[in-house]
Amino acid sequence: MTGVIGQNHRRADGEAKVRGTAIYGMDYTERAALHAKVLRAEVPAARVVRLDTSKAQAMPGVWAVATAADAPGLSGMMALKDQRVFADGVIRYIGEPIAAVAAETPRQARAALAAIELELEPLEPVFDLDEALRPETRLVHPDWESYQTMVPAPREGNLAWQASTERGDVDAVFATAAIVVEDEFRSPRQHQCSIEPHAAVARYEQGRYIVHTPTQFPFLVRGRVAELLGVRPSEIRIVVPTIGGGFGGKLDSMLEPLACVLARKAGRPVRIVNTRAEEMATAAPRENAVVRLRTAVSEDGEILAQEAEVLSDNGANSSGETVACANIPPLVLGGTYRIPNARYVSKVIYTNTPPTAAFRGVNGPYCVFAQEMHLDHIARELGMDRREIRRRNVLKAGEAMVNGQVLDDAVLTDALDTVERMSGEATPSGNPKALRGTAVVPLTWITNPGPSGANVKLDEDGSIVVTAAAAEIGTGAVATGIRQLVAAEFGVPFERVVVTPPDTDAAGYDHGAQGSRTTVGMGNAALDASAKVRDQILDVAAGLLEADVADLELADGAVGISGVPDRKVTLAEVAGAALFTTGPIAAAGSFAAPPIPFDAGCMVGALFTNFFAATYHAHFAEVEVDPDTGKVTVLRYAVAQDVGKAINPQMIEGQIHGGVVQGLGFALYENLRLDGGLVLDQGLESYRLPTALDAPPIDIQLLENPYPHGPLGAKGVAEPPLVPVAAVIGCAVADAIGVPVRSLPLSPFDVLAALRDKRRDEV
Amino acid sequence: MKCSFTLNGRAVEAEIDGLTPLLRLVRDHAGTGTKLGCGEGRCGACTVLVDGEPVASCLYPAANVEGRQVRSIESIAAPDAPLSPVQDALLDGGAVQCGACIPGVVMTLTALLEKENRPSEERVRTELVGNICRCTGYHKIVESALAVTTASEEPV
Ligand code: FES
Ligand code: FES
Repeated sequence: MTGVIGQNHRRADGEAKVRGTAIYGMDYTERAALHAKVLRAEVPAARVVRLDTSKAQAMPGVWAVATAADAPGLSGMMALKDQRVFADGVIRYIGEPIAAVAAETPRQARAALAAIELELEPLEPVFDLDEALRPETRLVHPDWESYQTMVPAPREGNLAWQASTERGDVDAVFATAAIVVEDEFRSPRQHQCSIEPHAAVARYEQGRYIVHTPTQFPFLVRGRVAELLGVRPSEIRIVVPTIGGGFGGKLDSMLEPLACVLARKAGRPVRIVNTRAEEMATAAPRENAVVRLRTAVSEDGEILAQEAEVLSDNGANSSGETVACANIPPLVLGGTYRIPNARYVSKVIYTNTPPTAAFRGVNGPYCVFAQEMHLDHIARELGMDRREIRRRNVLKAGEAMVNGQVLDDAVLTDALDTVERMSGEATPSGNPKALRGTAVVPLTWITNPGPSGANVKLDEDGSIVVTAAAAEIGTGAVATGIRQLVAAEFGVPFERVVVTPPDTDAAGYDHGAQGSRTTVGMGNAALDASAKVRDQILDVAAGLLEADVADLELADGAVGISGVPDRKVTLAEVAGAALFTTGPIAAAGSFAAPPIPFDAGCMVGALFTNFFAATYHAHFAEVEVDPDTGKVTVLRYAVAQDVGKAINPQMIEGQIHGGVVQGLGFALYENLRLDGGLVLDQGLESYRLPTALDAPPIDIQLLENPYPHGPLGAKGVAEPPLVPVAAVIGCAVADAIGVPVRSLPLSPFDVLAALRDKRRDEV
Repeated sequence: MKCSFTLNGRAVEAEIDGLTPLLRLVRDHAGTGTKLGCGEGRCGACTVLVDGEPVASCLYPAANVEGRQVRSIESIAAPDAPLSPVQDALLDGGAVQCGACIPGVVMTLTALLEKENRPSEERVRTELVGNICRCTGYHKIVESALAVTTASEEPV
């Protein structure tokens, strides 16, 4: 195993990427592919009175026009089936597909869209989350009761889903507590903004749909497209080219069903690619949310009980993971601190806005922001040190989180100690008026427990080939992680391991590149298959070497006999010998997360019930605020992160840098604004992403805290570095300006407004 | 109208209309390495060099390159040749994740390092400000660029 694990191997897909020869989804096309364009709703809520596509059908170059009649199926991402490909007589958001056209040229397709006749009768739109829940408000889905769900959950009217967790006697504790503190926090939508937009190329061949699409989760897209089209999943084949970024935005099906419907009608391949404006307006972002917290504390700063109401915006339907992850807020609020009595209610709400979806850290970052600002508020009320209150309440190894799950390996205190040690002296900017502040935030986060299957074979040249549906979205989990694990298992150089690109026809099920699970889930499945292949190799080699299996060792691409240096057979020789004797060497492996004891009785409506391979973190930030402009500058940032076992430290650092900078975007700049259901930010001109000048120095310390069920102890690493960033920046800014902040992002205007309010209060 | 220019050392003659962006010609004639990220001049994924200067080819009018030298990512290292120092450093430094921004980043850094052989970190960051990378947080890109400049200082 030496020489591969813990090393900074270059990515196996790297040369093609730096040379520009990698073919991404946005580059892929097929011979004679038609161009597709989508007619999208321009009002947030309306009844379709008349939809006439006959003129469009007859336009030059047009091969197919599709509407709701062509795709009758109802689907939803895992939890709740309330979505169709095209508006079904009712429009629920601006940007909702009403019809689509496939034509010889993009211009012809656009001309045909313009020829579609549409008559609408407006309906009263619903935008505000609290408003949506009032009994007199119009229902976004009057048929909500008829929709299928994966598990039962409280739902009603515009409350699409409710997940809740309750422990202990909350009311009694509140009635007698020394101090009760209450707060409300708000956060906006954040857009994934992968550099590569969504794209799909579909063709219909021998009764099946073949779709090339840069998706993070090929098997989900297969299932979703099948459901929406009303066919069996095996009638769909998903093939994944190089992916140009995802961050959760490419988990769910998006353009694939449109391409499939059109390809079948046209009898030709159809290619569809989002413009940046479509991307911003319709490709589902992180949900906007409201978090209300109420906490009972003792005089010495011990949390006695906490209540939370979290409202998150589902948008018009349950595509994306907002519903599936509805129980993340309770787990996150009650996963880092000891909260003996808790009542957490997470409400996912329908509005007439574009649907929301997973974004790195699903449903978590705004809960952590709220919890940490709230803790600072409690510390202020008690006159207590902000760090002290965290240390007093943070979960220690062997203590239980709110779902009753015991965190045996919690290293939150170590993580806090580590960042404290790392927080040296910052170089100030030189602005004499600048206000400075610091903050430290601990966090417990999850590794996604989804299952994986992998096939491993020994190739005739002695290479190891892993066939897997694990998507390489850029993290390096496939391009280095799985390869390093398998190379170590076989004692072959990294370069001798090949992982095939995802193809749902060839590979077993995999639960997608999400929640930092690829190295853990697919790594385990690949190691399971590898162990079986290894046994077959040793068996054949034992025959060739006339030795006992127990005396064999596999190293440097050959099988040898321990203690006998010159008796060896290469893996290629073993493969060749096996072909006509035992048969080709290959095996299937699988992974399913081991059960974790927790108290299911305290939860209702939860699809996510526990933390698999929990990881422990602490982030530190020091900021400067210019009191004249409100501009926040991050002077220093430090991260201590539990990674289980570092398979490729350099790739992990890259994930931490990237996660922190995306988190800074959420904290300081990014705000996908809506007005009357219309997404105002239709491009990168007004939607502000962090640039090279916005990235502060980031110090990193990896904590190796092995997970017994992870491959060689590894845990998920890519998602968590984003999660606490807005919280630590928010707390540091509040520390600097001496007044709390309650909403994100912390734009200069908001910071100035907070300072102005403070000055007003002081006079 | 007709437009003639040199793309990666080869003569190209193309029929364009007034608003054809240079990106279209580059992708048609050189390969798909140059990416259409935003199409609005903000992300830099489409960066190519015109007479050695980086431009956002998604907005840059093809008509402007008449008679000039255009270089895209495909020119940086011949297909069967080793990687350029910038490409090599980016891979060595772990600066490539999804890679969608990387062709543009390679062009920006190549242009910078052709002009200045020892830019400061601040200078590298300022030059990169037009290249949005959503994955890496920029640190490893910047470190890799600086590693090229230190490597080139060593005696051969
Ligand atoms: S594609 Fe040209 S700048 Fe984004
Ligand atoms: S590596 Fe993905 S955008 Fe830069």
